[in-house]
Amino acid sequence: MLYMDSPNRTERHVVAPRKLHRWRVSFVLGMCAAVLLLGAEAKAQATPPSESVSHAKVSLIAENASAPPGKPLWVGLLFQLDPGWHIYWQNAGDSGEPPKVQWELPEGFRAGGIRWPVPIRLGSGSVIDYGYEGHVLLMVPIERSPGARGDSASPIAADVKYVVCREICIPGKAHLTVSSPTGTDTASQASEWQKLFQEARAQLPKPAPANWKVSAQSGKNDFYLTVAGMRPSRNVSFFPLRPGLIENSAEQKVAARHDGFLLSLRKSENFAGPVSELAGILVLDGRGYTVNARVVATYDLTDTVVCTEDFGCVRG
Amino acid sequence: MCQGVGADKDANREEPMKRWTIALVVTVFAAAVALSNAWAARVGDRAPDFTATDSNGKVHKLSDYAGKFVVLEWHNRGCPYTAKHYTSGNMERLQKEWTARGVIWLTVISSAPGKQGYVTAADENSYVKEMNAAPTAVLMDPTGALGHLYDAKTTPQMFIIDPRGMLIYNGAIDDRPTTDAGDISGAKNYVAAALDAALAGKPIAVATTRPYGCSVKYAE
Repeated sequence: MLYMDSPNRTERHVVAPRKLHRWRVSFVLGMCAAVLLLGAEAKAQATPPSESVSHAKVSLIAENASAPPGKPLWVGLLFQLDPGWHIYWQNAGDSGEPPKVQWELPEGFRAGGIRWPVPIRLGSGSVIDYGYEGHVLLMVPIERSPGARGDSASPIAADVKYVVCREICIPGKAHLTVSSPTGTDTASQASEWQKLFQEARAQLPKPAPANWKVSAQSGKNDFYLTVAGMRPSRNVSFFPLRPGLIENSAEQKVAARHDGFLLSLRKSENFAGPVSELAGILVLDGRGYTVNARVVATYDLTDTVVCTEDFGCVRG
Repeated sequence: MCQGVGADKDANREEPMKRWTIALVVTVFAAAVALSNAWAARVGDRAPDFTATDSNGKVHKLSDYAGKFVVLEWHNRGCPYTAKHYTSGNMERLQKEWTARGVIWLTVISSAPGKQGYVTAADENSYVKEMNAAPTAVLMDPTGALGHLYDAKTTPQMFIIDPRGMLIYNGAIDDRPTTDAGDISGAKNYVAAALDAALAGKPIAVATTRPYGCSVKYAE
């Protein structure tokens, strides 16, 4: 991780937990000041100001110093998590909560939505969540309306709320202003940050290939997602966008077809009411694709299913 | 051969061998569904009966409470979502109000020994006193048997059982899935709403919601 590598990393703004006594806060701040002073002489690699609760550090970084003409300025919330700790995807799964952000922007500027990288499955047994470990950059485009009078050099700030969990959950809150590379090492800092943005882009789900035919059916107990237009595969898993739709801890049974696969997704016992579309990320052989299929009516279990050695069991 | 979903006019022309294979597949599917307890506690079904011991060593069975409304509240004091409702006094208020109206309120702790939220009975009794909580009893479920029986996933998670033993609510305590106590006053409390309706003999508008909280800390 970039920031952990720096031997002179000194900035660590500790958000004091509510019950921490004042004298302890002063002591911690005093120690921080002492370390900062000591570190000032040495060759410094600028790190973005950040806030942290135990086990998570969050900062707001920008890909460029300002928006390229006609394009958004991409900023990102960078979460750096201790081993085993995680934050959540936009659908957190069975427990937890995704990070939420409110923006303070110059006049005429608008923030788009978070671009969520493909998550991983977390947890075990009957409680399964979706989220991220290690470090993750949640990118957001900042766009400028034509005729906006604000200056992109004015501060862009964000209020972030999140929970970071392992066995326990710790709620975190941070007010962050966007950092641009500063200091003597501007070029290398900027390139480090741009690498983070490139890495995050590579982790975004891609649109489903045009030749895929994706369809969804609603059965008595399960949703069925069929993807046709590819070679047979069984190495698939589905991450639904909508919380509370499927039983996240249930095995996603895959039946390979000659031209793809059929995935069964157990419905959640807490899900009420009809659903018109099944949207989410399909991870196929380690790569994520966004899919969105209209749900059509019932798939009866008595429909013909054919099993052969070559292709396993498929709907005939 | 693979005609896609819904249409298979060739079914009658299948060879006997394939039909046998199909029958096997259908049976396997059906058996898998029957054995799975993923829907142990589905609203509209009978709530599973249980036997559990409370923090004072008393044994409770759900069937002991036939003829009464019963609330099951999954609890872990160290979870910030639970703490939100306890340090604000919200949960205690609900417990007082509804037990006063004849509802049996059972707090359940399903954290396994060694896991976060596991507490001794004595510790829990002190906590109840300290927080001015007013459940009918606190069920100690360190094996997670009761939790798994109801498939409780989060703390808090709320279940309501009616006097006939039917499950009439399963899900979140309210509609603000955050750790912020400031969100309580503006929230729609699903438990209060369901009990209000049920006690008045009216249908429950929202009977099932996605629960929010920390994961229940079952044994691995």
